[in-house]
Amino acid sequence: MLTVIQVALTGLLTGFAYALIAAGLNFIYGIMGLINFSHGASLMLSMYFAYWAWALFGIDPIFMIPINALLLAVIGVGIYKGGARRVINSSFLSQAVLTFGIASLFVSGAQFLWETNFRLVDAQILEGGITVGPFEFGLPHLGASVVCALAFGILYWFINKTEMGRVIQAVSEDRQAAALMGIDTERVFTLGWAIGLACVGVAGAVVTTFFPVFPTVGDRFVLYSFVAVVLGGFGSVSGAFIGGLVVGIIENVAGVFVLPAMKMAIVYALFFITLLVRPMGLFGRY
Amino acid sequence: MPQTDSTVRTRPISLPRLLKGKNLGVVLAILFFAAYPLVITSPFYVQIIIRVFVYAIAAQAWNIIGGYAGQVSLCQAVFFGMGAFTSAYLMVHYDIIPWIGLIAGAILSMVLAVIIGFPTFRLVGRYFAIATMGLGEIAQIIVLNTSLLGGAVGIWLPVLPDSFKYMQFHKSKLPYYYIAFVIAIATYAAVAWLEKSKIGYYLRAIKADQQAAESLGIDSRKYKLIAFMISAAITGIIGGFYANYVLVVDPFSVLPRSFSSMLLLMSVIGGVGTLWGPLYGAAIVMPLTELTRGFLGAGGRGLDVMIYAILIIIIILFEPQGIQGVIKRVKVRLAR
Amino acid sequence: MDLLVLDKVTKTFEGIEANKEVSITVREHEIVGLIGPNGAGKTTLFSCISGSKPPTSGKVFFRGEDITGTRPDVVCKKGIARTFQIVKTFAGMTVLENVMIGALNNTGSPRVAREQALEVLNFTGLYPKRDLEAGQITLVDKKRVELARALATRPQLLMLDEVCAGLHPNERGEAVLLIEKIREQGYTVFIIEHVMDVLMPISDRIVVLNYGAKIAEGTPEEVAGNPLVRKAYLGERYGEKYSAIR
Repeated sequence: MLTVIQVALTGLLTGFAYALIAAGLNFIYGIMGLINFSHGASLMLSMYFAYWAWALFGIDPIFMIPINALLLAVIGVGIYKGGARRVINSSFLSQAVLTFGIASLFVSGAQFLWETNFRLVDAQILEGGITVGPFEFGLPHLGASVVCALAFGILYWFINKTEMGRVIQAVSEDRQAAALMGIDTERVFTLGWAIGLACVGVAGAVVTTFFPVFPTVGDRFVLYSFVAVVLGGFGSVSGAFIGGLVVGIIENVAGVFVLPAMKMAIVYALFFITLLVRPMGLFGRY
Repeated sequence: MPQTDSTVRTRPISLPRLLKGKNLGVVLAILFFAAYPLVITSPFYVQIIIRVFVYAIAAQAWNIIGGYAGQVSLCQAVFFGMGAFTSAYLMVHYDIIPWIGLIAGAILSMVLAVIIGFPTFRLVGRYFAIATMGLGEIAQIIVLNTSLLGGAVGIWLPVLPDSFKYMQFHKSKLPYYYIAFVIAIATYAAVAWLEKSKIGYYLRAIKADQQAAESLGIDSRKYKLIAFMISAAITGIIGGFYANYVLVVDPFSVLPRSFSSMLLLMSVIGGVGTLWGPLYGAAIVMPLTELTRGFLGAGGRGLDVMIYAILIIIIILFEPQGIQGVIKRVKVRLAR
Repeated sequence: MDLLVLDKVTKTFEGIEANKEVSITVREHEIVGLIGPNGAGKTTLFSCISGSKPPTSGKVFFRGEDITGTRPDVVCKKGIARTFQIVKTFAGMTVLENVMIGALNNTGSPRVAREQALEVLNFTGLYPKRDLEAGQITLVDKKRVELARALATRPQLLMLDEVCAGLHPNERGEAVLLIEKIREQGYTVFIIEHVMDVLMPISDRIVVLNYGAKIAEGTPEEVAGNPLVRKAYLGERYGEKYSAIR
């Protein structure tokens, strides 16, 4: 029993990362109705940035957090201005194809430049573990979850307590009405991509402290973040966050009862059931 | 009331008409592909075209559900693998000839399509895409962990002396070529018929505006399921063919991550939702892949995909209709 | 006979009552108009009937059968066809193909559907435009295509949602004639309209909604003369004009 709780708690920690990634994904979706299939590939890039900073310059991933956030925000704006803005009003197929294409580009680029080996950061500032009562947690892992929780906190505060946040909410609710009220939707969309990918930047930097990096690492994270979004409900950033936590827990707990490789199948089963029973998730609007 | 109408073809087939315009192109293409391996005898170049056929068929199958019906399926690899594994398994364990194995694979794929589609098709389009997205991943993992299916090693078909019955040909790859060719012709003919049938019209209506379509008496879930089942069956059949062609079926080769998105890519490049789009796409992408892999080897890893990725981004941004769209525009230009 | 009966149909969205206990009866071969200010719940009522947004409470009967909450495609098969306020023609297909989709409700053969569609196109005056791409035509034509498309399904009840929007005053007479022709063919028409010049001359009865509830019902003159209605919606001018004639 104790093992299950331990495992669940460890899963919760990873869940924070899933949660932040999912929040970013949902942020973009909420604002402009676009599902960003390149989210995972962007995470991969973020992880590689953190890795190379460490491998080449000895910079600890912790310091890469703000840098990555910035870099990914720039990439996000680039994706938006470079193409996403044209397909905002197009069919789902067009949006899917574009973001898939971008994902392919990132992944194949990574494969070409950096080969497919697993890379691991194995000497960092935050090392070792910590014991809380009967439970043990890896320090990098704990640190990662704290950072993600903080980042989400900032995001939440931004959306709900600032003027700009309210503007963003307005655009998510009704794009036309917001435009009629004089809101510059173009700016909001750009900001949406910047913030959405900044989340991935932060998550990527922290995940690198305990997870290996390879070109297709994004796939599994993106799948989990989609599950998180569906669980929490499309359009709800907090929902996606909670969804991420749930995914983390379930993934790890499932690992106790089935082969580790089958964990993903369990998460997917959960996902499928949610789609069947409550497609709008816990807090969703669509 | 005029009897003939430009929009819908109703005149019967006749030889002079067969050789006109568009039809002439089709006839020539068929003759070309039929004669190709007899002229270009190098096995490498014959095998490239066999792979083109395999992908052209699978891409067309994707096109039925993704292009015509507008439901983006990302789990086609699962049907391909289903067909491959079914045929291989039945052969190795029960000595069932591949021809039956292919049918069995198709049937199982259809069943799977219903299981996936039934709950997801009543939701908005994007849910279906996401639901299918994970399935490919999961399938690979499940198969990897199922010893019945050989785990990571997969199933190896026994190498038998040349026989049509067991679909094994070693002295020459030509029979494989023509089998794939026939399946391709059958698939494209089926889709050509589908386009002009009630189902075809209904699928296009569902894609254009599902709500409006339903208000006209169209049971959107039923028709999406039909399209999905046909798509799954075709993919299963070609998967089965592939198993008997390469004689090795393992989770990495028949359930690759990139399979479903490759099909999507090919269909979009060629022209999504059109009859010939998937063929154009496959004919361009496949040889490029094979050639880059053949000449650049490991050093070129990922390069071919990078080229496609850039290509498809450009296409979706500037000419979403793909090659067919470009051709149309050129025609309009020339007509002026 | 009573073709369509709405019994206290209510539709609530997150606390907003879009339709409040609306009860209406439409008899066979009638033309019944549904009017009311914007936001009165007219299109929502249509959605309740057609099944795309089932009512929160209340019942919908068609030909005596309870069809409350039935799926839209089944509702169509039972004999109710509708058009949409925000036009939904099938882009990428020709006008003829659009109408054929409607006709395919009656047959499994595209060949037969084409014949039927051509007839309907001729009937509605769209024949010359049959090969135009439906996304490229004017809004007025798009609305007419939707009407033709719905007609092609051979319904008993045709529900039209603002098909006369954007019509030039000269074109309105044509619209009136068309709807009359439709009734002569045996259809029953339930029509939401803002263009009074079209609705008043042809409706047998008019139902008025305001803030989701029915506030008046009667012949065009009765409704026009009703002070409640005039206050909410019609304005003095139409009230005067239509009380005098017929």
